[in-house]
Amino acid sequence: MNDHNVYQTNNSETEETPEQAQQEREKEMQDDEEELHKLLLPNVHDLPLTPPSAIDFNFVAYFAPDFLKPGHDQYVYRHANGLCVIGLAPTHVAFKDEGGITAVDFNVGKSDRSGFKVTGKRKKQNAQHFESNTAVCKVCTNNDSYIVRCCVKGSLLEVNNRLIKQPGLLNSSADREGYIAIIMPKPADWLKIKSSLLGLEDYKRKREECFGSS
Amino acid sequence: MANETEDAPTNSASESHATSADVERNPTDEDKNEKLLNDAVQFLPTDAVKDLLSKEVCLRCIFRLFGMQVPICSSLSVKSLLCHVLGEQADLHQNISSVEPNICRSCLGILQFTYCGDKERVVENESACDFAVAIAELVKKEGHQIDSFSLEVSMPPTILENENKLSLYVKRKYRSEAWFKDRSISECSSTKDALKFALTNPLETLLDVKCGISTFHIRLTYSRVEASIRIQNFVEKIEGCKRRKVDAKNCLDTVKDKSAITGVENSVVSTTEVIPVDEKSSNGLQDNEPSETHEFPLKKVNEPCRLECLCFRTPIYFGGRYLKYSRNVSQTRWIIDEERMGEASIEEIIGGNILPMCRGDSYKFHAAGREDIDVRMLGSGRPFLFEIQNAREVPSELLVKEIESKINSLENKLVRVKNLKIVGSQGWTLMREGEAEKQKQYAALVWISRPLQDEDFQTISSLKETQILQKTPIRVLHRRSPLEREKIINWMKIEKIAGSSQYFLLHMCTQAGTYIKEFVHGDLGRTNPSIGSILGCRAEILQLDVTDVKMNCFLTE
Repeated sequence: MNDHNVYQTNNSETEETPEQAQQEREKEMQDDEEELHKLLLPNVHDLPLTPPSAIDFNFVAYFAPDFLKPGHDQYVYRHANGLCVIGLAPTHVAFKDEGGITAVDFNVGKSDRSGFKVTGKRKKQNAQHFESNTAVCKVCTNNDSYIVRCCVKGSLLEVNNRLIKQPGLLNSSADREGYIAIIMPKPADWLKIKSSLLGLEDYKRKREECFGSS
Repeated sequence: MANETEDAPTNSASESHATSADVERNPTDEDKNEKLLNDAVQFLPTDAVKDLLSKEVCLRCIFRLFGMQVPICSSLSVKSLLCHVLGEQADLHQNISSVEPNICRSCLGILQFTYCGDKERVVENESACDFAVAIAELVKKEGHQIDSFSLEVSMPPTILENENKLSLYVKRKYRSEAWFKDRSISECSSTKDALKFALTNPLETLLDVKCGISTFHIRLTYSRVEASIRIQNFVEKIEGCKRRKVDAKNCLDTVKDKSAITGVENSVVSTTEVIPVDEKSSNGLQDNEPSETHEFPLKKVNEPCRLECLCFRTPIYFGGRYLKYSRNVSQTRWIIDEERMGEASIEEIIGGNILPMCRGDSYKFHAAGREDIDVRMLGSGRPFLFEIQNAREVPSELLVKEIESKINSLENKLVRVKNLKIVGSQGWTLMREGEAEKQKQYAALVWISRPLQDEDFQTISSLKETQILQKTPIRVLHRRSPLEREKIINWMKIEKIAGSSQYFLLHMCTQAGTYIKEFVHGDLGRTNPSIGSILGCRAEILQLDVTDVKMNCFLTE
């Protein structure tokens, strides 16, 4: 493998042994790696104690208190791309029941919401179109059952099927893994519903007693 | 003009205005050509020649019909010799012009170097050399730097029909003649070949480069100008679609597509109507008996063809690898509602430096994958390809290195380029090769909701070739199909960060197409498993860097 002498070094030595060339390359690689590592390490002092979560960062949270029925508090997290994730707000009356939520059933209204599949990019054509008061699912507790509704008029893209086997997700993280469904509203429909929703601060104020004073 | 003598002939016609005299520069060449012509003409059967001339076939068509190539001479020489053969007086100008038809019925004036040019102006060139001069001017006007050229000619389908009809006519009429039996009429060359032969040497001389396979193309496209034409043959061939006969526009589009199948030249036809032709008329593609054997089968031609002359270079490719140091630079130009996203783009920074050096028309940027605008591309860099359209100049290796240096020394240091060089078409295959299998390496700044424990290092490192299932991330769900994708995480490693118990650097290598951000934060549980689920807590990602794109192309040699 003597043709490695082809490599030119800055010192332009006329004769370089293969071993020297190899050493040069290894050193270069080490230098590159060190440089890379320097770039990767953050400045610890710049790091916040608790960073914003992916949800805080990418979504704007809206709330619909008493949606169609008292105590039926739901949230709508809207992504920058227009998609809306809906779920149960922490003050939803279902959480007040002893034992929390025990079961979730998507078989409401005209069809089983968990069954359908939206295929392809042209979601508007395949997906089901829901009104804001269309029922998406039913959550059950030991005492009662509560209907969860769409909140936003649009196409239903996805329901959280995991809730069927793991209804407890609603108790532990209703605002993340326990989301109910994903809706895609038309821009005009969103604007209409937006005015009737509350931002986080307004929602907290309204449900003051649940959040306590601090 | 034919007998002008010039001393000190110049080979490169780049500076001064080129004339055909430059081409016929050498008196001995001229004499030689005339002698060749003289000899050739001796063998022509006078009767047949007279007959064809009277049927308005031009001299060069007659020559090619009899399998002879006309040496490079001005038309005047050809005509005067022919007159001599025919026993007519050569010095009477009227005779000479009356010998040849205005526009040949077979080649439609193409081999007479007559055409309809810009602004409907009819151009009649005295010789192939004059014609070549006009073409060479165009090449120079565009400022092309070339080392070779390829000559392409495209003619209307009628030409081929005419060739066949003519050759049939001669075959039928003279098959009993002695001279016919001696020479096989099928040796006749096509109109296209005759034109190319006539133009090649003059063009080589004027452009000072050879003709052959080249990235630089000179394309001559001839088309009919007549208002109504007989393309019924093609219409009928098109899978029996009756409606196409009525709609001329539809018909033309289909003709363009189908002409490749029927084996006839692609033609650009400007017409407003299609006149249906009765089925007795001969189809030039078959050996039909024309019903009228007494009447000459070629129609009179009133106007020459329209000629479009294009010269261009096929795309050249620049390959290399890029690094992106900024979290505010997108890969490609990204504009929403007239506002640019990010402060710049890789394709504009690099392309904007390559294009002017090539004096090209435009560029197309291709990369082996991409990263988000807020993700840096570090390490060995990502392979990319720039396709430059119609470059007027192909930069030298030295110049390409200069381009690379220039980009790398830009003040804002947003982007870096490595191993930039001109690659052939294999650059494409190199990039596309193994695209699905290629792995990528990342470093992510991760935060978890509890302090890091000793076991965590082992938990993460022990996972090899882990399969995960990712539903289409919410952040792209609006424009991508809702699918569930299986991806492989090849390996992972936690690197502790001094001074922090909940932040760490996560190094990992994954299959192409894995959504890393979602793998860290879980995307509301739609990516399983995720770092959070593996460590049993909440995990967030603050920064992501690509540290290696494991591909074999455009590496440092």
